[in-house]
Amino acid sequence: MVSQQTETLVIGGGIIGVSIAYGLRKKGSSVILLDNEDQTLTASRANFGLVWVQGKGSGMQRYVDWCLEAVKLWPGFSMSLEEETGLKLNYEKTGGFEICLGDEEFANRVSFLEDMKKQSPNGQYECQMLAKDELQEMLPKIILGDEVSGASYCVHDGIVDPLNLLRAFYQGFSQRGGNYHPDQKVVDIQKDGSGFLVKTQTQQFKTQKLVIASGLGTTELAKLVGMKIPVNPQKGQVLVTERTAKLFPYATGTIRQNANGSFMFGASHEDTGFEVETTTDILQTLISRALRTFPILKNIQLVRTWAALRVLTPDQKPVYCESEECSGAFALTSHSGVSLAPLHSEKISKWVLEGEVPPDFESFHPRRFNV
Amino acid sequence: MFKKLPDQSEKVVIHFEGKCLETTKGQTVAAALLSNGVIQFRESVVSAQPRSPYCLMGVCFECLVEINGKPNQQSCMILVENGMKIKKQQRPSVDQNGNT
Amino acid sequence: MAILEYDLIIIGSGPAGMSAAIVARQYDLTVLILDEQPVVGGQIFRNIEHLENQRENDFRKLGPDYRLASKLVEQFKNCGADYLNGNSVWHIEKEMIVRTITTVTDKGNKSSLAFKAKRILIAVGAMERPIPLPGWTLPGVMACSSIDVLFKSSGLLPKGEVVLAGNGPLLLLIANRLLDAGVKVSALLDTKPKKAIFKALPYLPAALRTPGYLVKGAGMILKLRTSKVRIYSGIEDIKAEGEKNLNQVSFKTNGQWRTTKTDLLLLHQGLVPNIQLSRLLGCAHQWYDTQRYWEPILDEWGNSTVKGIAVAGDCGRVSGSKISELSGQIAAFEAAKALRIISKSERDTFAKASCLELKKQNSPRPFLDQYFAPQKNWIVPKDNDTVVCRCEEVTVRDIRDSVRLGVKSPDRIKAMTRFGMGFCQGRMCGLTASEIIADELNSSPADVGYQRVRSPTKPVTLGQLVDSD
Repeated sequence: MVSQQTETLVIGGGIIGVSIAYGLRKKGSSVILLDNEDQTLTASRANFGLVWVQGKGSGMQRYVDWCLEAVKLWPGFSMSLEEETGLKLNYEKTGGFEICLGDEEFANRVSFLEDMKKQSPNGQYECQMLAKDELQEMLPKIILGDEVSGASYCVHDGIVDPLNLLRAFYQGFSQRGGNYHPDQKVVDIQKDGSGFLVKTQTQQFKTQKLVIASGLGTTELAKLVGMKIPVNPQKGQVLVTERTAKLFPYATGTIRQNANGSFMFGASHEDTGFEVETTTDILQTLISRALRTFPILKNIQLVRTWAALRVLTPDQKPVYCESEECSGAFALTSHSGVSLAPLHSEKISKWVLEGEVPPDFESFHPRRFNV
Repeated sequence: MFKKLPDQSEKVVIHFEGKCLETTKGQTVAAALLSNGVIQFRESVVSAQPRSPYCLMGVCFECLVEINGKPNQQSCMILVENGMKIKKQQRPSVDQNGNT
Repeated sequence: MAILEYDLIIIGSGPAGMSAAIVARQYDLTVLILDEQPVVGGQIFRNIEHLENQRENDFRKLGPDYRLASKLVEQFKNCGADYLNGNSVWHIEKEMIVRTITTVTDKGNKSSLAFKAKRILIAVGAMERPIPLPGWTLPGVMACSSIDVLFKSSGLLPKGEVVLAGNGPLLLLIANRLLDAGVKVSALLDTKPKKAIFKALPYLPAALRTPGYLVKGAGMILKLRTSKVRIYSGIEDIKAEGEKNLNQVSFKTNGQWRTTKTDLLLLHQGLVPNIQLSRLLGCAHQWYDTQRYWEPILDEWGNSTVKGIAVAGDCGRVSGSKISELSGQIAAFEAAKALRIISKSERDTFAKASCLELKKQNSPRPFLDQYFAPQKNWIVPKDNDTVVCRCEEVTVRDIRDSVRLGVKSPDRIKAMTRFGMGFCQGRMCGLTASEIIADELNSSPADVGYQRVRSPTKPVTLGQLVDSD
């Protein structure tokens, strides 16, 4: 079989894989992107589209900083990708809430913010508590439910159109001459001199650098090049409604109003293996909370529900590593593929091509799991 | 486009965009509007194109109108009732008062 | 609150559903039949009771089939099945719980209702194949059968001149009905390819075994040809034109473009099974190439590939009301056997007459399906600017461009273009999208597949969902 040659090869066509492939191509590398196209809804097509800082990185300050770095890059990154592809990403740094129901939730959130402050080297965590009336003042078009006790508010949080983002990466990658191979399930990876030989069921590729970004397939592939990366699926169910007048210009982790006016509600956290069914009881739980927050939404019509699988590491924080056994082979996984898109596109691709490891990246190494 | 054959059913009066329309019991809102000369039921959500019913059997969702304040109702399935207030289905960028 | 449980829940009160209920009740099965329309009858027997009682003239004109149907309705009403009209199914749980929402009234904020079933029979019938062509979203362009609905349910008739376009038995039927009612049909644009009869000839002998259907069809064609209706054959292209609504139709025949003024264009390229619910439940489907649609994979008793779920009538294979009645009966015999009320051999004996009759009634089908086979050029528009997804205004070009990026599955292309994300959840664009993707990939819709159907299958408010059991 004739091997196709390339400088870099990315395995995985989800948001993370295509963002890195795009970034590598932008830097002038010859890139092949392999994708095992499957019919189940992937997280990349099913997520909430949050560009989020608040609440992430508890126990890992490096991750907090990494999220903030992403937010700094987002405006420029979004504008340039929009210009290049003609697509609207609708990125908006709206600011985000975590709305609390009842006094206990409020107290817990206060104490969480305190913990995050303590964790930070300068004692700062840019997230503040708002009393109910302060929160209501920020929301002139939508009345809060009786149980709402307040919220934590982070000015860095925002939203984007996750489907257009994915599409923009694909388009940009294609426009720049990137090579996309769908229907390619990788069955073997071998060292080949200083590079790698990647075999799928029907083809063979020779590459100098390899990036494994295969979501739930990461563990199996990473093993082939000497990396131990545990990931597990976690189901999330999401709902989307009909379009309605603009009522909610911010976002919470579970409620957002899209640019086209439809509301989205999410998302559950279920350990149900690899199935992606929606269930009435969970949907009722999600809606119930949304209605306790914003009661007037009860007359809005639901148009569709879906479920997909998050890719979670044991501590739910990202893994980035280069194989020690097989240098030149990289693997990464994160369930914040949308939020971190600019970093994956620009900084991770730089690491892969030029060896420039982002500072303090040791925190993200999978040896922290002691597997 | 359409005319209604005379029948003996009980008369019903509904309102469309503020005007009174006469129809009969047992009619769907869509039929009542069509027989009263209404051609456009709504604007498409993406680019505000004129739309009106296509299938009349609950599949196409083109017959959406606002009924008694509730938006996006399938008028081909809902039966008329006296005093019903029907409005063209507005695009969501317009609020209750018609302001963008 | 405890959920009511039934042996058999039938979704759809057309000929298949009603016939199934009648048979099921003969074996004392507890039966609930649900329909989203306000009255019984399905699509073909729309509003039949009202027609018979209040519009005798119109009822008589519909012919002997309707008188028989009237008897069916009466039998159904007396069979002891629970009947809930004006309720649309928006979800069916894996645990056989059927959830409905009120459709025909806007009164109050009625909760969603829930019912449990030991067996579910889907008998939701067929729908018109959507025909995307330039200008098809203009007010005044409608599916052919919508005229049937308006006439039967509401006593409406077109006021002005009507143009009919397409290919299919329903087109002939509607044309005849309109003529009978004194409506001016200014043109019938027949898109059937000129050689259609030759491809269908091999099936003609079988069709002649049950000549009634063909005789009826020939009669309709004759009536049209001897009327004042201008019939154009071998149509190559059609455009609907107008500013805010339709005011003329342009069509190409024999290489020449012509125009005719009209404010009502009725389109028809055959009926296709309504597969929203069978897909929601995860039933396997197969591609029926002659008529270019997906149908659920069923055994001879109507069982789908999902345990406890059966399908009867046109939503399994489009065959008309007679076959729908018979397949409904057969599915009910099977239900009685599956619930251990009768044995397998008893089922075989009791259902024998229906099975034989079904075979007989089916003999013209292969001929008709081939003769009226929809042509790909009417399903995949030539003009790339044609809107495919009406709800989200996604064009042929949008879908082709996505395929060219290397993305192949309908779900992924849906995520890229937004087709299928509107209120109708792909009912109007799903088939077309799969055909366009297949065309772009030089493959078959059978290989491309169909987008995933999720609940709610009809919109339900957040309040109604949260309040349901």
